[in-house]
Amino acid sequence: MGNLELIVEKHSERIHHGIEVLPSLRHGLPEGLGNKRWTAELILATYEMALTGDLPKNGLEYRTGNSGGGFDVLGWKNNGFARIDQESVDLSIPLNKREDGKKITIPLPIYGGGMSFGSISLNFMLARARAAKRLDTFMSTGEGGYPDEIVPYRDHVITQVATGMFGVREETIQYAPIVEFKYAQGAKPGLGGHLLADKVTSEVAKMRESSMFTSLYSPFPFHSVYSVEDHKKHVDWIKTVNPRALVSVKVSTPTDVDMVAIGSYYAGANIIHIDGGYGGTGAAPEIAKKNIAMPIEYAIPKVHDYLVSEGVRDDVVLIASGGIRTADDIAKAIALGADGCVVATAEAVAVGCTHCGNCERGRGCQVGITTTDPELSRFIDPEWGETRIVNLFTAWSKRLRSILAGFGLESVRDLRGRRDLLVRYK
Amino acid sequence: MVLDPETVKPSKYERFRIETKPTPHVYQIPNKFDVSARKVRLAAMLVREAFQFKLNKEVVLSRPCIYGVFGGRFGGFKPLKHKCVGCMRCVQEYPHIMTVKHSDSYKRLGDSFWTPEAVFTIWNEASTGKIPVKGMGYKGAFGGEGFDGIWTDMSEIVRPTRDGVYGREYISTSVDVGRKPTSVDFSKIDRSSPTITIPVPIIFDKLPAGSGDVRAAVGIAAEKLGTFYVSRQRTPFDFGPASLIPVGDEESIQELVERPSAIVEYDAEKSDLFEKLAGALPSSIVIARVPLREDAGMVACKLTRQGVHGLHLYGDYHGQDYSKEPKHISASLKEVHQQLVKEGLRDQVTIIASGGITLAEHVPKAIICGADLVGIDTTILVALQSEFRGETRDRANCQMKPRKIDPEWGAQRLVNLFGVWHDQLIEILSAMGMRDVRRLRGDIGRSMMDAELREQSFKGIAWAT
Ligand code: SF4
Ligand code: SF4
Repeated sequence: MGNLELIVEKHSERIHHGIEVLPSLRHGLPEGLGNKRWTAELILATYEMALTGDLPKNGLEYRTGNSGGGFDVLGWKNNGFARIDQESVDLSIPLNKREDGKKITIPLPIYGGGMSFGSISLNFMLARARAAKRLDTFMSTGEGGYPDEIVPYRDHVITQVATGMFGVREETIQYAPIVEFKYAQGAKPGLGGHLLADKVTSEVAKMRESSMFTSLYSPFPFHSVYSVEDHKKHVDWIKTVNPRALVSVKVSTPTDVDMVAIGSYYAGANIIHIDGGYGGTGAAPEIAKKNIAMPIEYAIPKVHDYLVSEGVRDDVVLIASGGIRTADDIAKAIALGADGCVVATAEAVAVGCTHCGNCERGRGCQVGITTTDPELSRFIDPEWGETRIVNLFTAWSKRLRSILAGFGLESVRDLRGRRDLLVRYK
Repeated sequence: MVLDPETVKPSKYERFRIETKPTPHVYQIPNKFDVSARKVRLAAMLVREAFQFKLNKEVVLSRPCIYGVFGGRFGGFKPLKHKCVGCMRCVQEYPHIMTVKHSDSYKRLGDSFWTPEAVFTIWNEASTGKIPVKGMGYKGAFGGEGFDGIWTDMSEIVRPTRDGVYGREYISTSVDVGRKPTSVDFSKIDRSSPTITIPVPIIFDKLPAGSGDVRAAVGIAAEKLGTFYVSRQRTPFDFGPASLIPVGDEESIQELVERPSAIVEYDAEKSDLFEKLAGALPSSIVIARVPLREDAGMVACKLTRQGVHGLHLYGDYHGQDYSKEPKHISASLKEVHQQLVKEGLRDQVTIIASGGITLAEHVPKAIICGADLVGIDTTILVALQSEFRGETRDRANCQMKPRKIDPEWGAQRLVNLFGVWHDQLIEILSAMGMRDVRRLRGDIGRSMMDAELREQSFKGIAWAT
């Protein structure tokens, strides 16, 4: 074994061991870890769940962060309900509620959000795809193209079509059970994508059909779409190339997010995916993340109520993302009116992300998640990553079942819009 | 028609841009993170790894830090703390050895309003001239009070194409300062008051404390940026005299006449000087400084009817107004703006808002609340590495002490700050599909308020008992 191999192996083993040991709190709560949204406890709890597939048993807070608002000030009513056996609770949700088109059901109300090849390492992408297959759910390619290595998982991979059209080809549309149009994203609502030159290695450039080490911009918005009618043409285009595909429309959360949702529905979307302003994984200007578009907690009820009032709520799937960190966040999002959630950051935390935000610095992520550095990328072995992500979602499923069983609800579908089960904290 | 390249004159058009360049700190800033290793355990680990990797030096000494914190001569025994970005990999790899935390000197930065994070943001913006960018989502508190409780809108599809900082179509950040008559009276056309266009909706307000160096830096920067700076100092400085907005009073009128400025301000609270100043300085724009408090709307309407060309509405340096029960200037600005709108006066005057404008996002938010442009104050001193000596809230007793600086260095730091704030303003405008910052003024419909959304979206959810 050469020195480089030894070095990668040494650090890889150490990182993996470290994230197994840290949740035990044997070395205390690391002071510099975390922030208001992803607190140190929440990060460690996520490491623990990704290790054991179970909820933490040592009192680590795994349900909420400390942001002082949104999901963090919502809790559950805790009396007057007849508990049922949690094993009997059904967590599955359908992803197509229209009469036509393929019926797809996922066994838990979660799938993986778009993180593009180039912004994340291939190994992490593979880990996500493998986990999606094992869980019988989906992950999205993001806008960076469709590497050959994930083709074997194509029944569980959503092809994203974004404004840069990177890697959007006939075959990648035809592979996809679901095609996702990304109109906007929570990390930078209303702004285009930007992959810094350093990350555009030869593989990334090849995938995106661009030049090496040249910054890549995805414009905003789709320059061919300025109306719902234009959007309908987009949907028709996909349906022509792949008539079996379901169509998801990913939008951000502007003041008129309810109008955007209904427009997307009438244009033929099977899934309306709203991505709140506080979330996202991609590097983005700080000003955008904090200040543009409303948080998902406020957007879900607005859209849900509007779709109900328009009489179409049961014909379309509403998926929420952008700041969903825990099983409790998912359950709260559903109680506020979503059918299910998309998560991405939590998957990164499962494989060692510290939510430090340095993804775009220097060589990229120090633990191999958001990097194209050949050495750092190897810290994530796809099989190891797959197991961690599956474990995390398994632990989350247990928590979801426990919440639902506590309310006597047999299916997660019965939780949708049940705001009466929530309480607010000051 | 075929154009002859010989006869076609090159266009004089120059797209507006602010020339930023790296301008490093001259005074050492605190390390954000404190990195330390338990030395005995570190030594033991090195011995253990030496055995494990059979004294293979390259492998044994390969460090967990990709930022070079352990790249000094003594490695982990003497970490180069200034390089730490808090990624926590060393703690992940060696939890029994390493500790990384926010340093005490970092935590002590600022005061009850200026958080350490905000101070670092301004320092970074002024030194690099680059927009702060980070990955993995937002990391701060949810919504909040004042400007934190406001989100700006974005437009999904139906909108003009964007410019963004990467430049396609032009987004204007220019604003006009001065009185705008509602109709044209040709008989008085020569006497109509002037207006001035400035390229970015930001001016430098009066400094709470300042040395000659600091004032010179502000003057040079204002001139370079095509903006203005307010100063009570009567004598025009050697730097940027054309950009000076003097604050006039009874005694200084003669001096102002001798050295006229394009814009003058006066304290409306202290004196009713408008007629005198406007009479003596017919080609100047006369702006009344008005403290924001309960009666500010009434005062603003009165002054506008009287004919003032602009209102400079201010709160304290922490962004609170001077009402008996102080509230954030975002709320009082909205009230003044709305009262002027109701009285049909708003379009006649320019509103400058200042007090607590300390981050780039405060500029569009103050404009949404009704200002045309903003003034910055303590932010200037932070960019110029002044020292916090206590609370900075009180305009008359702000505990911030300027340090000695080279005015040219200081000017470039302020130019960088403007460059970065300009780019961030463009990000906000482009997300909204707006091509002109003037359209943003008072457009509350393109914003979302935490308090309102909370009540709408969480309606019917019971309070926990
Ligand atoms: S750099 Fe790595 S650990 Fe840090 S936030 Fe980005 S992905 Fe997570
Ligand atoms: S926290 Fe990260 S940057 Fe800081 S010393 Fe440790 S490894 Fe280096």
